[in-house]
This record gives sequence, C-alpha cells and structure tokens, in this order.
Amino acid sequence: MKSVTKQGRRHFLSSLVRVCSFAFFLSRKSKRTKFFLLFSFLPAAVALIIRFHQVFSEEKRALEGTYAFSNIIMLFYLQFIILVLALFFGTSVCSEEVEGKTLPYLITRPIPKSAVVIGKYAAYTAVPIGMVALGLFLSFAILNIDRLLSIPLYKICFQYLGVLTLGLISYSAFFTFLGSFLKRSIFVGLLFSFGWENVIQYFPGSTQRFAIVHYLKSFLPSSPSGRFSFLTFRLEPTRPEIALLALGLMTAVFLGLACLLFSLKEYNLED
Amino acid sequence: MTVREKGYTHWDGELKPARHPWWPIARLGIKLAFKKKYFKFIYFSAFIPAFAFLVGIYISERIEDFQWMVRGSTRILEMNPRFFNYYFSSDFLLFMMVMILLASGAGLISDDLKYNSLQLYLARPLRKKDYLAGKAAVLVFFIFSLTILPGLVFIVFKLLFAGNFSFLSSYPWLPLAVIGHSLLVTVFFCLYTLLLSSLSKNRRYVSILIFGVYVFSDILHGFFSENFKQPAFALVSLKANLQQMGAFFFKQKPVFPVAWHFSLFILVSLCLLAAVVLSRKVKGVEVVK
Amino acid sequence: MSAVIETRKLSKWYGNVLGLSDVTLEIGPGISGLLGPNGAGKSTFLKLLTGQIKPSLGSVTILGEKIKNNYAIFSKIGFCPEHDSFYEEITGWEFLTQLLSLHGFAASEVKIRAEKTLEVVELSRDKDRLVRAYSRGMRQRLKFAQAIAHDPEILVLDEPLAGLDPLGKRKVIRLIKEFKSQGKTIIVSSHVLPEIEALTKTIILIHQGKIFATGDIHYIRDLIESHPHLVSVKCAEPRRLASMLLTEDYIRSINFGPDSKTLVVETKNRDKFFSLLLSLIVESRIDIEEITSPDDNLQAVFDYLVGK
Repeated sequence: MKSVTKQGRRHFLSSLVRVCSFAFFLSRKSKRTKFFLLFSFLPAAVALIIRFHQVFSEEKRALEGTYAFSNIIMLFYLQFIILVLALFFGTSVCSEEVEGKTLPYLITRPIPKSAVVIGKYAAYTAVPIGMVALGLFLSFAILNIDRLLSIPLYKICFQYLGVLTLGLISYSAFFTFLGSFLKRSIFVGLLFSFGWENVIQYFPGSTQRFAIVHYLKSFLPSSPSGRFSFLTFRLEPTRPEIALLALGLMTAVFLGLACLLFSLKEYNLED
Repeated sequence: MTVREKGYTHWDGELKPARHPWWPIARLGIKLAFKKKYFKFIYFSAFIPAFAFLVGIYISERIEDFQWMVRGSTRILEMNPRFFNYYFSSDFLLFMMVMILLASGAGLISDDLKYNSLQLYLARPLRKKDYLAGKAAVLVFFIFSLTILPGLVFIVFKLLFAGNFSFLSSYPWLPLAVIGHSLLVTVFFCLYTLLLSSLSKNRRYVSILIFGVYVFSDILHGFFSENFKQPAFALVSLKANLQQMGAFFFKQKPVFPVAWHFSLFILVSLCLLAAVVLSRKVKGVEVVK
Repeated sequence: MSAVIETRKLSKWYGNVLGLSDVTLEIGPGISGLLGPNGAGKSTFLKLLTGQIKPSLGSVTILGEKIKNNYAIFSKIGFCPEHDSFYEEITGWEFLTQLLSLHGFAASEVKIRAEKTLEVVELSRDKDRLVRAYSRGMRQRLKFAQAIAHDPEILVLDEPLAGLDPLGKRKVIRLIKEFKSQGKTIIVSSHVLPEIEALTKTIILIHQGKIFATGDIHYIRDLIESHPHLVSVKCAEPRRLASMLLTEDYIRSINFGPDSKTLVVETKNRDKFFSLLLSLIVESRIDIEEITSPDDNLQAVFDYLVGK
C-alpha cells in the first residue's frame, strides 16, 4: 500500500516536472514573454536616467543610490510590475488553454489535472521571477555602480528580491485561482490589484491584514522616505515568520482551490 | 438544356454603396459590450460622479435650504468653469473611462485578428476606414455618454434650476469648451484603445496594456517629479496631459506649471502614431512565412 | 468481437439541455464511424469517452478500466479535437515533441517517435515552419500526428475531415486506414455520410443525443434508399413530364410548384427515378432547367428515421 502511494507521488512529481518544462518552453517562445521582459526592464531605464542625472547634474542634492533604488522597488516593482506580471501569467495558467482551445491537448495526456495546474503555475511564476530579478539587479548595478564592492548593499538587494519573489508567488497563486474560476479574470484581477490591495493596506488595525501587500511590506528592510513615505502609511508590520506563514498559507489555499476547480469544472471551449 | 446547381444563382441587382457602412459594426460592438454583466456594473458606476455633480447643481441653486449641510463651504458648489473642470479632470472619472475602454474596447480589433475576421469584414463593400470608424464608434458612444452628455446636461439643468440665462451669459463659451474637451478626450481614448487592441490577438494581454500604459505613465510622472522636482515630467503622464488640457479648455490654472501646448502636442502625436499603426495593422490578408 | 470501449446508460445534461441520453454501447477494434447531424451529441459522446467531461449518469469503460480519475489510461488513448487550435507560436516539430514529452518518454525516444510520425503524416519537410503558417490540411494532419505519436491502442477523432479539400481528405483517410491495419480501435465522427462510408462499414447513428442505430453501413444505406425522396424538377412542360412519370409504381406523388414550371416528385426509389428521368430527357426531348433535391441531406434521413 505504502509503495503504491510512493509510486503515485513519484508519478505526480514527474508529471509536474514535465508540465512545468512544457509551459516554460511555451512561454520562452511567446512574443508576450519578450514584451514583458522589456517591460520589467523599464525600472532599469529609469535608473539609467537617474544615474545620468547624478553624473551630469550640478545640483548638490543629487539622488543617493540606495534611496533611489528603494523608491524604484516600492513604486515600480512592488506596487505595479509584480502585480501586472502575476496577473498576466497567473491568469494564463488556465485561461490561455481555454481561450486558445488547446485544453484537450493537455487533459488527454497521462498526467493528473492538478499537475497541469501546479506545473504551469511553477513555470509561469519562475518566468516573471527571472524577469524581475534581472531588472532588479540591473537597476541596482546602475544606481550603485561606484559602490559595487559594498557587501551590505547586496544584502539589501537580496532582501528586496526576496520580497518581490514572495509577492510573485502569492499573487500568481491568487490569479491562477481567478483564472480557473472566472472567464473575465483580468478585469476582476485589476480591480483586486489596483482597488482592493491599494485601499485595504492603508486601513488601520487588523483590516490591512486582508491585503497580500501588507505581508510583503512587513518584510521591507527599510521604509521609503520623502514623498513616497505614504507607501508605508499606517503600516503595522506583521512579524516576518507570521507573514511568511500567511503568504505560504494563502498560496497553498489558492493553488489548492485552483486545482480543485480545474479538476471539477468543465470548461466551455465554444466562443 | 441547362441544369443548374441549387446553390448557385446569379444576382442581377445593382450594388449601391451603403450610406453608413460603419453602423452595423458599431451597433454590434455596443450590443456585445452590454451583454457582459461586469461591463454594465462598471459603466453605470461611472455615472456616479455625474449624478453627484447634478445634485451639486441643484444644491447650488437652493443654497439657503441646504445651509445646514454645506456649513459655509459654498465655494465648491459655485457653478463656474472650475466646477466643470473638476468633473472632467477627476481621477475617478478618468479611471472609470479606462476601465470602460478595457471592458468594451480590448477585444474590438484583437478578437477580429484572433478569429481571422478581418478578411471577412474587408471582403464586403467596406473600406478600412469604415471598419475603423465602426470600431471607434463603439468607444465614442461610451466616452461621449460620460463626457459630452453630462457636460451639456449640467448646463441645461443649471439653466432650468436657475430659471434664467445669466449663467450662460456669464460663460457663453462654456458649451463649446465642454464639446471641445470631450472631443479631445474621446478621440485620444479611441485611438489609444484601438492602437493597443490591434497589437495582439490576445484580449487579456490587450486589457493589461490598456490599463498598464495608463497607470505606468502616471507612476513615472510621480517618480520623476519627486526626484527631479521638474514639473515638465507631467508630460510623461497620459492622465496629467488630459488634465492639463481640461484646465486649458475651462480656462483654469493648469494643475502642473507647464504650457498646455506641450500636452496637446503629446496627445496629438500619440493619436497620429496610433492612426499610422492602425492603418498598417488592419489588413485583409496576413502572410505568415 | 471483444469490446474495447463500453458505455453503460451514459447520459449528459448541460443544465436543461440534453447532450446525450442513455447510451449503452460496445465498440470493438477497427474503425467505427459516429454519424449524426450538427448538434446531435457526437462531440459530447467523444468528450465523455476521453474523460474531458463527466457523465451526469452512467459510466465509460476503456480496455476494462474506468475512465474517471484514471489519467494513466491516456497513454492508451489518442485524441484529435475538432477545434482548429494549436500553440501557434511554435513549429510543427516543437508542437509534436513537446506533447510527446508529456507522456514521459525519454528525449531520444521523443525524437525518434516525432520523426517517424511526421514522416507518416507527410510533414517532415515542413516540420520547422511555425504552426500558424500551416495550411488547413497540414494543421489537420499535425493534429492527427499528436494523437498517434505515442502509439495508442484507441484513437478518437472528432471531425478529422472537416474543412479539408478532396486531396487532404484522401490523405487523412489513408492515414486512418493505416492505423486501423495495425489492429487498433478508432472512432471517427462526422456529419457527412460519404466521408464515413469511405472509412468504415461499421457506423453508429446519433441524433438528438440518442443512438438511433448501430451496425453495418448497408443497413443505413438501405434505409436511405427506401426513404421517400423529394426531387424538384424545373422544366418547360411540367404537365407532360408528370403524365409520363405517373405510370411508374415507385413514384408516390407529384405536386406542381407555384411558378407552374416546377414539379415536386416524391419517389421510393431514387436511382430508378433518375434513370427514367434521363431517358425521358433524351428520348422525349423534355427540356429541363433545373433539378434539385430539397431533402438530400443527412438531416432529412434522420427526420425520416424518427418519423417526422
């Protein structure tokens, strides 16, 4: 009995790996991935402008590298880019197969349906994580080009990357669930990302804990200063271990729900 | 003896050009948009500011009855061009317009590209400009209903509540400003949406682009303005440019200290770019090598 | 005949709409043609067989195993969907190898199988072209290739000949027959009788979600032959033609059309009627303008079978 379970688990894992590499291959070939790669490099372009300004500006109070870097993370990555990437790739897990009517190719293979969801989710989370990491390191390098040997700076950079990675993992799980559940998942996803998340995080007390971004901001190595200090307005950080647990739990629940829906739901491939 | 197949008959009629060949496309687009429940929700929610402003007009005319409510802060209820500028440049209205564009406009061309329907459209006595006019008319309908319609209704109701024409004699140019600004906003949003819709066969991707470009340009503006303290960075934001033009049309102090010509130049340039791309993208046959 | 596929009281409702009703069938090796007009329930039946949708009632057994929650069975099934849908941004080769890799074959095995299959479907030369650049016939063959590449026991083909030109149809028919010659089980759906006739003698007639008849095609052909046919003939002298036709016992009725030039003939034997008509045209010099058969389609046959 035990060996049967073990064999089943091994088969599930190998199916998952197969689907993951299949989805990774498809996304690598997709023109949209190339576009989003460029899109995630936009903050690097912004960093370049700032750097030029630092070099050529005669102003005394030219921007300090770390300050500009944390602003880029907060404003571009945390509040916008990871949401857009997770929304597109997360909803794609199920929706692209239904919209493209390619679902029968996947569900008539000897792989469990839950492996299809989790395998595609893994690939479609790894791709944006890679994009964000590249853009982030590039921005970091541009802004701190004169201090690239400073080890503590790298610690901050990796901390930010960790926050963004956690964000992509949890948001993608939520959007995977939305994509498996709703036909117009993008619309609801945008309302969630730029409506709910943007409003709830500034509520006092425990209410802000109903937003994913609250847990992400709890990990931030430093609060933004200057005009952008409003981004952590009223933030009552959750302890890192609790925040990690909450994000992990949310990811597991949303992925579980997505797998359940994908297994039970009969998608209508007609227009 | 001639034996003819049933499926083939000659048509001896005369082919007359239709007067409004774009109309069936527009009608279908509007009908399809209203079939979506979420679209109805977002569309009717977009009228909330218009109703609020209408109530404001009523209160402004009966200010003595509502003293207990407004408690002296009557300035915001003064009916003048500033009041109109508030309405037309409000963040909420512009955001709702973008959501409407996303819900009704994302698939306008991209769905046709996906299902290869462009060749069906263009195989009819329909020119490319008729096709584009039909698609644009869908968006014009929705944007006009949130701009020109409420704008003119505000003026009419102001005159009705006041019972005289003193408001119009004080600001005779106001109806023209409402029409002018509405036209600019509508033309820009139409071309912006159609351009992005023609770039991909994937409606979800187009939806994200419509929303993303609008929001990202505003984030860029916020970031650069804060870091460089240069008001000229307002020009990178689509929203800020539209607000600048609103201030110009309603003769108000610009939100950002930048000349309105620059905003107009940017908006017109984007419109021209969109027109060029659209004329290249919309074609009956696609050759794939 | 040992049954490869068995269905017991298989039923499917889509809300209030009946998709399939009480289907109990046994399908053995060889080609079985699933014939029915559009909306008859063919695709629903095939989706139930391949576990893409779940039955509202009843069960499906394939090779003695239940299909429900049994994803391992898909290594023995090849499915060719009806939609002309692909992952468009990849080449034919990539499409096939990627789908094959989902079966868990080693990379070298995937390559060998893909090469062999592409050769079978005559796409080797075009394997490096993007799928979206393929013609309809090539796409249909690629769809067929992904269904057979893993060498399944059972092949389920949903409208594999739809939209193909005669040459394309002939190619696909040949491929299906080749697969059959290896002793496999194949189910092909279509709404075109001659297409099914070209493939197999064993057919399953489906209409309004119900199985009407199963068995040899000759039986169905006989039904069609004995089904009274309506033939509309437009000619200069309809009354003269009617008087000549009335003497034959296989003519059941003759009606005149409103234009006083058309004659609508109801006949029990279509072949005999047409040979008589030809001889009348030649010998009696009847000037015919047009011959049409208003009910010469599958729907008419089904209407006849259900007694409409």
